Amino acid sequence: MKTLRFLALALALALSAAGCVSEGPPRTFANSDLELAVGNAARMGCSCMFVMERDEAYCRAWVKASPDVAKVTFFPASKRVEASAFITWAATAHWVDDQIGCVLE
Amino acid sequence: MRALTRWIGVALLVALPAAAQSTCPTRPSWPTDDWPVQLADPVAKADEIKALEDFAFTLQEPDSARKGYRTDGLIIIKGGNIVYERYGRGFTETNRHLSWSVAKSFSSALVGVAVKQGALKLDDSICNYLRGYEGQAVCGITVKQVISFASGLAWQEEYEDKGYQVSSVIAMFFGVGHRDQLKHILTHARAAAPGEAWLYSTGDAELAATVAKYALERKLGKKRQAWPLLFEKIGMKRVVLEEDALGSSLGGSHLYATPRDFAKFGWLFMNDGCWDGERILPEGWVTDSTTPSEYFVKYAPETEKESSGYAWWLNRAIPERNMPSPWPDAPEDSYAAQGHWGQRIIVIPSEDVVIVRTGDDREGSIPVNELIKYSLPVAR
Repeated sequence: MKTLRFLALALALALSAAGCVSEGPPRTFANSDLELAVGNAARMGCSCMFVMERDEAYCRAWVKASPDVAKVTFFPASKRVEASAFITWAATAHWVDDQIGCVLE
Repeated sequence: MRALTRWIGVALLVALPAAAQSTCPTRPSWPTDDWPVQLADPVAKADEIKALEDFAFTLQEPDSARKGYRTDGLIIIKGGNIVYERYGRGFTETNRHLSWSVAKSFSSALVGVAVKQGALKLDDSICNYLRGYEGQAVCGITVKQVISFASGLAWQEEYEDKGYQVSSVIAMFFGVGHRDQLKHILTHARAAAPGEAWLYSTGDAELAATVAKYALERKLGKKRQAWPLLFEKIGMKRVVLEEDALGSSLGGSHLYATPRDFAKFGWLFMNDGCWDGERILPEGWVTDSTTPSEYFVKYAPETEKESSGYAWWLNRAIPERNMPSPWPDAPEDSYAAQGHWGQRIIVIPSEDVVIVRTGDDREGSIPVNELIKYSLPVAR
């Protein structure tokens, strides 16, 4: 019995060392919906306006996501887009050039 | 005798390069500058065009309702000519469109370009081209495995219809992983040993694009080689391939181009990876890209209805998996690059047809089978 326990423990340790994961609940990432909403709005809004070259009205509709909490501001002159939600969350994306498009900062 | 030997030698020298060239298909012209337009007769093809448009342009409610197949661009190429072209929702032929996962087919092709340039080999470890990961467990992953979705990483390919916090993709684009996407991907746990799983993964595709980028930079000593070695060679003049702040390529999703430019990529594959007499992709690359991979055949879950090679989706039956052709109304040699919200590049070699569709389908993407079914009668 002790041998069996030892073998089971050794197997568990070996699997763990190999970095394998067993079937289980999915991993969760430490992002709040608000953080994701502003990141989405800034990145996708920047590429919408400066890469796809659509106007502000279209890009506001393009980035709309649930929850619809991101306040988006487009800065065409400096090719930047800022998004914020409830003061605490904010994200900015800016256009780099005609090959790389926009980067989320 | 010596003269004869010399003559044979000279003949061989002349014949060998000619034989290499002859492996590339010839065409009367190539659309490097732009596509010739020879539209289908609007009178003779009125019924076929109406059927296609009734299917593909189904925006009936206000646009804000986000319902129906919201087509932004639809092009059909037949025999090297545009035979059908229409735009919607304010897009024109000059607007780039987001590709979403169509980019994955570009990323695998960029690996092909790197192989052709001698910058990497498919059996190389990805760590040969990524700084800071030497000696880590992920170094068991090869380049071939990442272009085949076989890294074994426990990636969670979820989108906006599931909880945001369980999505590896959303975390990478907009959340904890966005500043260093490479690190985000490579710190995923292992679901299986490399090459012993098949799991559709934007992470794998980004690894492929980033490996190709750095391999080409190292080999050629110049940055941004995707443009001169692929995009510009085939006349894709306005391609944007986005990166994170550290320079990792977002080659799993964030490529932008016009529909006409997307069609040129399809045309490159139609022509066995050659363009105007020049081989861009290695010989055999298109065949390997469009043949179900060993990883897919062995390990893909039964829920997968479309097989894949190097990130292209195939209309192939796989008897050993009891898997029928997924697009019953399409020729069996059809294959497609496919992206979220209904982005499509479809190649049908037996018809000499390429179909490109860009769109914004938020409620279920336009199906490939029907897109082919309604497009082919317009093209024929």
